[in-house]
Amino acid sequence: MLNQINLYLQIVEKSSFILGSILYLIFSLVVVKQVGSMTKNVYDKYNSVLIAFSYIHITFAVFLVFLTIIIL
Amino acid sequence: MSRVTDVDTVAPDDLKQPPKVLPSVEDNVSFHQRINQILGHTKSPFSSFLVNPKVFTFEEKDDHEEILLVLRPHWFTNLSWILITIFMLFAPLTLTFVPLLTTFAPNYRFVAIVFWYLITFIFAFEKFLSWYFNVYIVTDKRVVDIDFDNLIVKKFSEADIHKIQDVTSRVIGLFPTLFNYGLVLIQTAAEIPEITFENVPNPEKIIKVLQELREENEQHASSDRTL
Repeated sequence: MLNQINLYLQIVEKSSFILGSILYLIFSLVVVKQVGSMTKNVYDKYNSVLIAFSYIHITFAVFLVFLTIIIL
Repeated sequence: MSRVTDVDTVAPDDLKQPPKVLPSVEDNVSFHQRINQILGHTKSPFSSFLVNPKVFTFEEKDDHEEILLVLRPHWFTNLSWILITIFMLFAPLTLTFVPLLTTFAPNYRFVAIVFWYLITFIFAFEKFLSWYFNVYIVTDKRVVDIDFDNLIVKKFSEADIHKIQDVTSRVIGLFPTLFNYGLVLIQTAAEIPEITFENVPNPEKIIKVLQELREENEQHASSDRTL
């Protein structure tokens, strides 16, 4: 009985981690889109650096999704 | 027979037209010199007070428009989120003293910490973007306020220089007085009755520049009327 509850808890834990990381990935996509929109509206010297940062961030978000699926 | 030159008795067709005065190149140069004298020069591209920026531009800019000044909130206003970011960076270290995640398996703890650092990064990044892209622009034709709220909403407000009716500034509080930053309120006769520059450095210089621009604009308008 206790083992079964433990198993259910693990499933809830894992699925909430996966769901969280997927939501974060969607959010990072929004960030990329918005940085693109901002840099299009206002052009300054370091815009390319900011775009690069937004892409690095989305790479980490994808990595997080894989991490939650693989190691949890 | 010589005509009378007395103004009261002179016929309308006798009125002498004033000589046409076109704004010369020298006038234009002296105008720019006056503006530069007020504003000085900017050294850092990350400055909150960019004078005559060479690289900076915005989507709604006209081809013949010249950007005189780009303003962002004073750097001191960023201090709060910088401190929060530093705190967030070091927060996982407290887990060695406060065992909050011990109930989780080690792989879950690792993922949670990676997640935490990503959230820290995006918090700082979003704050920086908000500071970097919320700009106030003074050009030779108008004042512009570009705002991005929460990365999703864009607001664009503008007022032509000749529509500016009144400009006031407010420097309230210890830190604004210490670091010389504050609020510049521009009341206009345009569709948007008021444009506010919040937490901008050197408000007195901004007021002087706007005054100079208004005078220049009035001079041009009066010379256009006489032509």
